Amino acid sequence: MANDILLKIEGLRASVEDKEILKGVDLTIRKGEIHAVMGPNGAGKSTLSAVLAGKPQFTVTAGTIEFMGQDLLAMSPEERAWAGIFLSFQYPVEIPGVTITNFMKTAVNAHRAGKGLEPLKAGDFLKLMREKMAFVQMKPEFAKREVNVGFSGGEKKRNEIFQMAMLDPTLAILDETDSGLDVDALRIVANGVNALHTPEKAAIVITHYQRLLDYIVPDVVHVLKDGRIVKTAGKELVAEIEEKGYDNL
Amino acid sequence: MTEVMIVQDGQLLRSIDVQAGKRTDMVLLVMPGVSCDIKLDVRLVGEGAEANVYGAYVCGGDEKVKIAVDMYHDVPHCNSRQLFKGIAGGVSKVDFYGKIIVAQDAQRTEAYQENHNILLTDGAKVDTKPQLEIYADDVKCSHGATIGRLNEEEQFYMRSRGISLEDAKVLQMISFIAPVLENIEDHDERETIAADFENAIRNIVKQL
Repeated sequence: MANDILLKIEGLRASVEDKEILKGVDLTIRKGEIHAVMGPNGAGKSTLSAVLAGKPQFTVTAGTIEFMGQDLLAMSPEERAWAGIFLSFQYPVEIPGVTITNFMKTAVNAHRAGKGLEPLKAGDFLKLMREKMAFVQMKPEFAKREVNVGFSGGEKKRNEIFQMAMLDPTLAILDETDSGLDVDALRIVANGVNALHTPEKAAIVITHYQRLLDYIVPDVVHVLKDGRIVKTAGKELVAEIEEKGYDNL
Repeated sequence: MTEVMIVQDGQLLRSIDVQAGKRTDMVLLVMPGVSCDIKLDVRLVGEGAEANVYGAYVCGGDEKVKIAVDMYHDVPHCNSRQLFKGIAGGVSKVDFYGKIIVAQDAQRTEAYQENHNILLTDGAKVDTKPQLEIYADDVKCSHGATIGRLNEEEQFYMRSRGISLEDAKVLQMISFIAPVLENIEDHDERETIAADFENAIRNIVKQL
């Protein structure tokens, strides 16, 4: 059914500093689906996630992206967030001087303002923070820490999933969320993503390796190579890639 | 008790001697719209004296802000710390000159100075000249100065969480000067001044 479609990418081409990275990507994602995008380094996986989130340094030269019936490419990064898109960064950015509490309060209230809602009361906000931090096993004292400053790799990724839980997006894009994680952190992060998933939502899991997909099981697997999706299949493709490598696809 | 000075238009000359075992703390604040010429001499004249000087300046128009600090370590075992942070937008011009002078017998001196700046526009100008003049050999001294722009990676990260570009810039700038403002001891005074800076910064961001 057409109205099941959350995201529709057609003929997407994108460049950074005049170098074309995406060379015609088509991708349709329906409600309830988890898609894995796999591929070798330099294939354009992170570019795809950056373009979806609206990173200004990337230029879309051709194609369309429709998200819940809206023209995504006409929207600013913050408008995309309000519309329900969330990008979990491969390298979460450190923001010296801004505490997680202040950061999330600004973000949550910006989302609410986007929906015409009043700012959350201080007590309700702190309760929500505590609940979501516990959800990814972040210690309460992290609320007072500066965003990602001095965090270990695992702490940064848990902080990403914590923010995802706070903002409750319709489409989550997880860019190499498994990189730099030990197995315990990987499990916490994956459990978080799975618990947030509902039949109304969707996720794109971008990864180089099978590892994360043992925990977050995809419905559809795509292989991105040299800026194009060269193969699409069910989850069985993951094992095939692991066995044969990307070169023999 | 920390002395808080909201600097007005014009010249400000201050000369302070800090006696043995005493401590001076000072926060200098230059709000948008203020053009000033600050000349501060601090002299640590008795052993165990300590001086901490903090400053924040925010310019969004055609302000001219000149700050010169001379920190004299005349005797041994004294500590000083200087932290100046500022934002220059519009066609404003900032000149920072800071010197630490450690006399020959002022051993066991610890003296630090930092000046950090954010340039908001191509029309704004910042000159910073940190200087060290050290005649003693058993000292810990350092100085550092930076001039940078608002970090775009931070902005994209915040926007991807739904924080508007305008709010992201305001948040970056407030957090940049916060290490200066946090030295204002009185809670109410600190909150009032922080709110004044936030309003002023928001107005500057709207004009970018």
